[in-house]
Amino acid sequence: MSIRALWVVSQEKGEPGKLGIFPETVLHATSCRMHTHGQDRPKPYVEVRDDYARQHRSPAVELRLDGPGGRTLWPLLTVTQGALILACLPLVEAPPEPRPPLPSLASVSQGLALLSGLQDFLCGPGGKPEPDVLASRLAALPSVLLQVCPLGRPLDTPPPAGSVPAAVAPSPGGAQKQPAWKAGVHRGRAVVSVALTEKVRSMQYGKSSVLPNVTVTLTLPPNGSPLQDILVHPCVTSLDASILTACSVDENDCSAFSGPYKFPFSPPLELFRLCSYTSQVPVPPILGSYQLKAEENHLKANVVLKLHESVKNSFEYCEAHIPFFNQNLMGSVEVKVSSGQLEVSKEKSLLVWVLGQKFPKSREAALEGTVHFSGTVAGPTDPLCTGLTAYIKLYFRVADLTLSGCCVDQHSVQVYSSAKPRIVTTRELVSSEYYIWNSTGDAPVSSGAVTASH
Amino acid sequence: MEHPTILCPSASVGEETALELLSVFSHTPQKSIVLKCNVMLAITNVIICTSCLNTHTKTAEDWLDLCGLSQQPIRATACDCLREMETCSPGLLSQKLEALYLLKQQETTVLHQSYCLLYTLGLKNAIRILTNQKDVTDLEFKSILGGNEGFAWKSNQLELTSLPINMLVQVPRLTQGLDCKELKSIMSLLLEESYLLMPISQSALLRELVEVVAMVPGLSRTLFKSQLLRLFGTADVSLMHATLFMKDTFTDSLFTTVDENFLLKRLVGMAQHPLLRITEKLFYMECILHFPENRPISSSGEESLPVLVTPRRAAFLHPTVFNDSATMLCRLNLLCLVHLEANEGEADKGIGFLFDHIMALLKIVDNDGSREVVVTSLRALFIFLMHFSGMEELSEKLIDKLCDMYSRHSRLAPNLIDPVWSVKLLRGLQKRIMEMPPLQLTIHNLSWHLKVLKRVAKEGQITQRNTIYLLLNVLINSNLCERGNWQVGNAVLAVYRNLLDHPSIDQVFIELADLLQYISIQYDDTDIKDHARIYYTLLTNLSWEKLTGVLAKRLDGGRAKERSHSAIMAESEEIAKSVEATGEVRNWLEVYQGQFQTPGFGSEVTLRYNLTHAKETDPLFDKVFTICLHFELKDSNYAKVTDIHVPCVFRDRKSPEVKVKLKPFQPYPTSLCVSAMFTMQDGRSWHSRLPDVSVSFPEIFLPLPLPPNSSRECREQVFERIWEATASGNSDKSAISLFCFKPEDKSLADLIKTHFQGYLITDQQSERSWKVLLFLPPKCHILLKITQAEDAAQVSIATDNRELLPFPVSCRVSSALLKEKSTKALNN
Repeated sequence: MSIRALWVVSQEKGEPGKLGIFPETVLHATSCRMHTHGQDRPKPYVEVRDDYARQHRSPAVELRLDGPGGRTLWPLLTVTQGALILACLPLVEAPPEPRPPLPSLASVSQGLALLSGLQDFLCGPGGKPEPDVLASRLAALPSVLLQVCPLGRPLDTPPPAGSVPAAVAPSPGGAQKQPAWKAGVHRGRAVVSVALTEKVRSMQYGKSSVLPNVTVTLTLPPNGSPLQDILVHPCVTSLDASILTACSVDENDCSAFSGPYKFPFSPPLELFRLCSYTSQVPVPPILGSYQLKAEENHLKANVVLKLHESVKNSFEYCEAHIPFFNQNLMGSVEVKVSSGQLEVSKEKSLLVWVLGQKFPKSREAALEGTVHFSGTVAGPTDPLCTGLTAYIKLYFRVADLTLSGCCVDQHSVQVYSSAKPRIVTTRELVSSEYYIWNSTGDAPVSSGAVTASH
Repeated sequence: MEHPTILCPSASVGEETALELLSVFSHTPQKSIVLKCNVMLAITNVIICTSCLNTHTKTAEDWLDLCGLSQQPIRATACDCLREMETCSPGLLSQKLEALYLLKQQETTVLHQSYCLLYTLGLKNAIRILTNQKDVTDLEFKSILGGNEGFAWKSNQLELTSLPINMLVQVPRLTQGLDCKELKSIMSLLLEESYLLMPISQSALLRELVEVVAMVPGLSRTLFKSQLLRLFGTADVSLMHATLFMKDTFTDSLFTTVDENFLLKRLVGMAQHPLLRITEKLFYMECILHFPENRPISSSGEESLPVLVTPRRAAFLHPTVFNDSATMLCRLNLLCLVHLEANEGEADKGIGFLFDHIMALLKIVDNDGSREVVVTSLRALFIFLMHFSGMEELSEKLIDKLCDMYSRHSRLAPNLIDPVWSVKLLRGLQKRIMEMPPLQLTIHNLSWHLKVLKRVAKEGQITQRNTIYLLLNVLINSNLCERGNWQVGNAVLAVYRNLLDHPSIDQVFIELADLLQYISIQYDDTDIKDHARIYYTLLTNLSWEKLTGVLAKRLDGGRAKERSHSAIMAESEEIAKSVEATGEVRNWLEVYQGQFQTPGFGSEVTLRYNLTHAKETDPLFDKVFTICLHFELKDSNYAKVTDIHVPCVFRDRKSPEVKVKLKPFQPYPTSLCVSAMFTMQDGRSWHSRLPDVSVSFPEIFLPLPLPPNSSRECREQVFERIWEATASGNSDKSAISLFCFKPEDKSLADLIKTHFQGYLITDQQSERSWKVLLFLPPKCHILLKITQAEDAAQVSIATDNRELLPFPVSCRVSSALLKEKSTKALNN
């Protein structure tokens, strides 16, 4: 269970950066070079890259080495984030031939976990760190690796970037063991803050102790559909079987259990994701219809958005983006909206309909008008959105609401601790991939289910 | 730290280095904790990598002492180091388990994780060692847990390659009936506290514990029961993986059918969970395809679908056009397997859905998708066909679609002429190209079409008449011939090359000949004309059998080494070499020597000759065809020389070059008997003996075989390393010699330039010194260091094959009579 080598490669410079090779697991240390196919001159077809023989669907790729014999390194795990490629080579504790299946190699999941951690460490929650921030994080990486992966043996994942180390007092000792994921005792005011965020994805197309223990309970409204695919943080001490039974995989999930979902845990010092779930919601919060027609030399658009009655009509923000692909840049735009404002993007290829904080009383907003594409400059292209295949993408956030109805009652949070913590609970609904496709054009094939996830 | 074996090439050096570092460690002030930790890691690294763990016993004792009393980070590092030592030398700590257990118990800070992992590893290895022993008594078994004697340095060691149990054919087991009470309570405690560990460490701990339970029959598998539910719900990939390892090891002795069903359901759910990362989801899909079921497992390691994954269950894993390419291909592959297993009605619907998906992908390609989209979509089609109809049964609809796409985007040619596609598609493509209006044939897409036609011409089942008509049409009705573009001409000839090989050549013989003649006269490029003429001659003078023979030889013979024959040879792939970026210092000698692992590397000497007519012969022999040169060896120092085929020799034309490839076992001078068989214009065959070819010693000299773009530093480094190795006298075959002489009328520099130009490693005229390396296949070297002293030249000679010295290189230097490789005339 070891990692043989770890690379952080920046695609921008084209220069690979190598961070660590752990030789005692390599025994015969192999130096290797990474091929980066230059972005500036993409070759239409390169056999080693584009042929059919190899499997290109596994999380592990093989890295060909220069030099005689064309030796390869496998399994190379990679994560790409922006211009960064993170890669590591787990140790294969098996005869190399025939190549063992990935799941039989213990180091693979450890490598995946390490890469995920590394990604969080280098890039932080935003995913796009400033170059100097990234450089300083890269500089700190060797010492971090020394802690979390000494001698190539992963013990932990690097701490996420931007996580502020809480004020920590050394553990007072005693018979009780300190969890490895909690370096000391929290100092300062104890707070239990439970934030519930549901991300709604939608595809629409149509003609229609010493250790404090905390227990957080999620509850659903009486007729709520059960929370599915629950994944919990490792600090959760025990789980009830009934919590895990519901699963989106079963089409007719008839499990009667619909809460309360109890999660007893002992909190680490930093913010963490206690659990995540998915939920099937029969109706989307905003039902939309989008009709785009081609008329002579312009497009005629007609959009209606309807807010579902169960959704609170109070947004932090709500915008509809209407992009146009494979057209010239927009000329004159004669579009009227019944609510909010319409903006034409600087790039002249996108209409932004700012609906603001509220839908009108009727809970319905409409957009109608024509768009001319007069210029000679070609706009952005997209192989999917050709002809009348087009979409609207919605961006919104509603505070104090969940689609599944799931909530955490402030009084239901039980804390067994000498300190009396303040308990804060919040919830919100955020759009994730929220598309409404033009119903007069072809729809790209997709399985269209609405899920909400936390 | 990273390359200890480079700095410490031997165990003794390793040991010295470790001792030095140890003294650095002891002199480092207490507060420099990070430095101390780094030094500890370095020492451990050196000891393990130079394999002197067995002799260098003290370090482990030091580390163990440090585990007991020192600052936190140093204790943690000491544990990490010991764990690494135990891993690389299993059983090392097997007699120290009691001490380790106490340390683990006493530790209440976060460090207990390190102690816990160290102890568990030691415990597992100790038990593993015991399984090799027959008839273990209760006492022996107990003594492991209570052992506190010393380090087991040499005895009891498992082989370094001890594999995890899931890689073994048979799990090693202890004898039945041992008293496991104590071990059981230890195990329970470890499990109970496992949740206190970091997830990755937890997964490592669980794996060790699973191995222990698997090896000790007295321990019940149900020990893990209490942990299962927690593990089933985990969001951590390494913990879930460890759970699958448990499933793999214990199957139905721990997992009920309900558990199994549940676990699989979770896996399918996680393979598409919106909050997991793409790589994790891909990994879970792999796990589904290798799911250890509660039934006899096929140990082949092949992908297979668990019975419980039904179409309904996998519905959410249907690929969509919004997926990234790896996810899409992975899902598609999985779904194909699902529908293969499904009952008919369900399967038809599912396959229909997948087919629609493929068509949607192709539509995106058609809409000018990027390169990645093209490749992904065609791969998806490939996966689909592999599962359902096989590549042969490509449906009409698909062929039409692909051909339509091709007529719009001829840049797809390289993707579509891949050997995976069936003849039907190629036939379709040929038809499409024929039907294209002439206006669409631009230089740019013509080169793609020629690529396709070249591939089509390889198919014996496809008639080629249309191809020839098209080419004729294009050449006659366009200005191609006047423009005389070499690349286009070459691409056209590449099609002919394959056409000449085609079994139905008889049917199109006349047209083909017309065409070749047309090119050989009209095409405005001499090289193309020449080649067309050769083809014409071959076509009109040889039977098909002979023709294919000649073409085949050409192909095998000089595969992609010489660009000058590109019209005859299959297009060389070297043009498509990828861009590479590097910035590393490398050990060039290793690189150099590594090259020899490639079979046949640097083993050949190519001698070039011209094949011409002897001065006076019968005019009857002025034109000879299909010459086959045969070589006989006179000694056993060389491998058999393959026959050489030459299409024709005309007295009034340029004589063809013949390359004789010699493969020496011993690089000594030799001579070859040569005979020739050839055909006359009138069809009669002749056999004739040619003068012997003598191969002199200098003719088998080659320059140092390194990649052509190798730097001077690299060549110098290799030279110096070989020199050192030779001079060290380690090998009984190596020899060193010194020779002095006085250069006469010419200057030394000129002499060297004349005779060793191609073999110079360094040329420091200002310092009056030169280095020369002569490489002799298969792997001999003669190294010369030449310096100009006041009145004489000094030549130091080193060689790794003493037996070469009798062939006097020194004399050659002094007399400067190295003959140039001469072009010899072979008399016909």
